[in-house]
Amino acid sequence: MTEFQFSDLDRKIIDILKKDGRASNQNIANKLGVTTSVVATRIRRMSNAKAMKIIAVADFSAFNYNVLLPIGVDVKGRRASDVAEDLAKVEQVSSVQICAGKHDIELLVALENMDELHDLLLNNLSQVKGVRSLDPAIAVEIVKFNFDVAPV
Amino acid sequence: MAKYQIDELDRKIMELLSEDARLSNRNIAQSLSVTEGTVRSRVKRLENESYIRITAVTNMGLLDKPQLVYIGIHAEQSMIKQVAAEIAEFDEVNAVIILLGRFDILAIGLFSDLQELQSVVSDKLLALAGVRHIETTVVVSIAKYNNRLAKIIAPQIR
Repeated sequence: MTEFQFSDLDRKIIDILKKDGRASNQNIANKLGVTTSVVATRIRRMSNAKAMKIIAVADFSAFNYNVLLPIGVDVKGRRASDVAEDLAKVEQVSSVQICAGKHDIELLVALENMDELHDLLLNNLSQVKGVRSLDPAIAVEIVKFNFDVAPV
Repeated sequence: MAKYQIDELDRKIMELLSEDARLSNRNIAQSLSVTEGTVRSRVKRLENESYIRITAVTNMGLLDKPQLVYIGIHAEQSMIKQVAAEIAEFDEVNAVIILLGRFDILAIGLFSDLQELQSVVSDKLLALAGVRHIETTVVVSIAKYNNRLAKIIAPQIR
């Protein structure tokens, strides 16, 4: 892990950018009472250290993903990290996390429609070597989804 | 009101912005061979229609709260919506999803350590009326994480 540490100024810049990722350096500088070049330097430093990046996050619907499934995976006879690596190759799988809990791996899957579910579960995910069982659930309503952190 | 249906140009703009949202409109316009004004109005529409949100994403490994946890909640059937709304109020919880199967509500949160997790789960969540049972799953490592996709719930009033 890098030894990067956010300064107070970094955090203030991030707060502004979280609300408006396209705020200009000039704008940020004015708000914080520092110079534009200080803001530019700080943003560059954070980006280079992979501590922060400014990106457009797209809604699931922008890619016609209408069905969201959290799927728990149990592993048998193979290292969970190897199974996770294979599961990560599946296009519809948007996240793969190795866990300590009821299941060994948690997946988040996004599909365009329910018709794809059958093929994904039976012909794709369950065929990955080491997958013993799948425990799927279907999201019926997303009440809150605030992910402005990630393994950048 | 019917939501604006995005086209190929919108997708290309989203693609570029999902790599680096600090790209200037001029830069985007040049690489897609359209005018700067077109890019500006497209980005604006994508934001207004909640198809994209431009934001700073911070590296969770460097945060004070690096521990990602899945919390599965079984709730009284008649109170699921109410419980989900209450859980969504907690700052520690980043996502709340009502589910069919497995459990009734999935909450995903970031915690500083297991002590904090335990205090949120047993002091706050289990104390809510309508919560029957909670299963926690601690994320040990992340093999894939697509942060370009999310549910954009607009407007974000804070």
